[in-house]
Amino acid sequence: MPLELKIGSRKITPSISLTILIFLSIAFILSLSSLTSAQKKTVETARKEAASTQKKPAQVKSSKELPGQKAPAANLTILKENKFLEEELNLAKKSEYYFIINLKDKKIELRARGMVLKSWMASSLRYSGKPVPLKVTALAQKSALNPPKRKMLKPGENQEKAEQTGAQPAKSEQTTSTSPTADNFELEALEITDMPGSYELILDNNLEISVRSKAKGKERIKQTKETILWYTWLPVKNYLSRKKEPNPRMIVYFDNPREAQGIYWAFIDGLKGLVWLP
Amino acid sequence: MMKIWKVLIIIVSLIYISIILIFSLAWIKNLKQISEWKTAYNFKIDPKAKISPEAQKATLKKKIQSLQPKGVYIMVDSAENKYYLKNGDQTIKEGLVSTGSGVILVDPTGKRSWVFDTPKGEFFVKSKIQNPYWVKPDWAFIEEGEVIPRKMEDRVEGGVLGDYALGFGSGYFIHGTLYTRLLGRNVTHGCVRMADKDLEEVFKAARIGTRIYIY
Repeated sequence: MPLELKIGSRKITPSISLTILIFLSIAFILSLSSLTSAQKKTVETARKEAASTQKKPAQVKSSKELPGQKAPAANLTILKENKFLEEELNLAKKSEYYFIINLKDKKIELRARGMVLKSWMASSLRYSGKPVPLKVTALAQKSALNPPKRKMLKPGENQEKAEQTGAQPAKSEQTTSTSPTADNFELEALEITDMPGSYELILDNNLEISVRSKAKGKERIKQTKETILWYTWLPVKNYLSRKKEPNPRMIVYFDNPREAQGIYWAFIDGLKGLVWLP
Repeated sequence: MMKIWKVLIIIVSLIYISIILIFSLAWIKNLKQISEWKTAYNFKIDPKAKISPEAQKATLKKKIQSLQPKGVYIMVDSAENKYYLKNGDQTIKEGLVSTGSGVILVDPTGKRSWVFDTPKGEFFVKSKIQNPYWVKPDWAFIEEGEVIPRKMEDRVEGGVLGDYALGFGSGYFIHGTLYTRLLGRNVTHGCVRMADKDLEEVFKAARIGTRIYIY
């Protein structure tokens, strides 16, 4: 007996059921894409409407939530920028370095006294979860699968080993570096190339930044899996989670691994900074 | 048999539809959260304010700019082993340096240890020395497996620091080097080594109090 379904007097064969399911899936994907574009349009129209009804410009008292009157959207950009500049001024007054993560330009900068010391441009940047407030935050932890290890020199042990084997003890680079060239000299040193290309930066406002660089082999498969999970499992996990506002997360990609390594080098524990979306 | 198949198909369809539903709701929430990153900064307007936001922005930018170094300053990138001699936004000269190796030296007794890092931060030129000589610290002897001398004269070594040295505190210097082939690598015990020609120009441009940024 062939497999049959009936709706009233009509027969629904498996092939028809499958077609209906495929049609539903396509409809769902199209509705998702229309949702995203609709959301973008509502934000832009809201800004335009606010700009047309703008009256007197005024000074700002910043607050995270708004119990009172909202700022017109046209002023919002300037108000946001002013808040950012206020926070940066507090950081720039001190001699310590600070970082600025600009989510719109996908740029990470190391600054001191208001001037840019070094900047890194990400090829791609994604974020999700609870929005990060525009307040000074600090690097709480750097987490890498293979953190760099410092070389330990214990001259007493080396001397004993050399005496046992009858070989000459290892000398410092100052005395032996005149003959080898810089290119082929094997250094016992911690260099930028020893830094990891993929790691996590955890800030004290619970923002977890995953830094990734172009990789091959297993690491690439891992990154592809991460991307798929970001778009599929992470939204579902946040939705089903008991937390109303899931922890903020960010993932930053660099084409050149040296850029990711440079950030790991420059971002020392306790480094303060700002994360903002102009 | 047919009924079982029908029930199975209905169950599978329901599961599939519910997955799509959960997924779409999750995505709606996700998109809403992402859009909140742009609109999270909601400010109260103070109707009695005297200064416009544009004027406030200009004032803040001016204040930040006033903190920047005036005149010549030196930047040292310890990751790339490069230096930049700058005046405002203009780079006067740049070149290769050698910075700290990051190695940890442990005293054979185990009581002392030294980390050969070039310190990072904002510094100032505290001393300018011509024809400097090196007063070797204890670690220089320990590293070579030599006995630490008791007399100060036995610690002095000339001709290894180049023609000039700029001190920036805590025993750290920007100085010359015999090992020019190693410029661009992390090989020093913490000081910043520079090629002779670069060092001469930096020495002449810098004054006591010139800022040095090492990162």
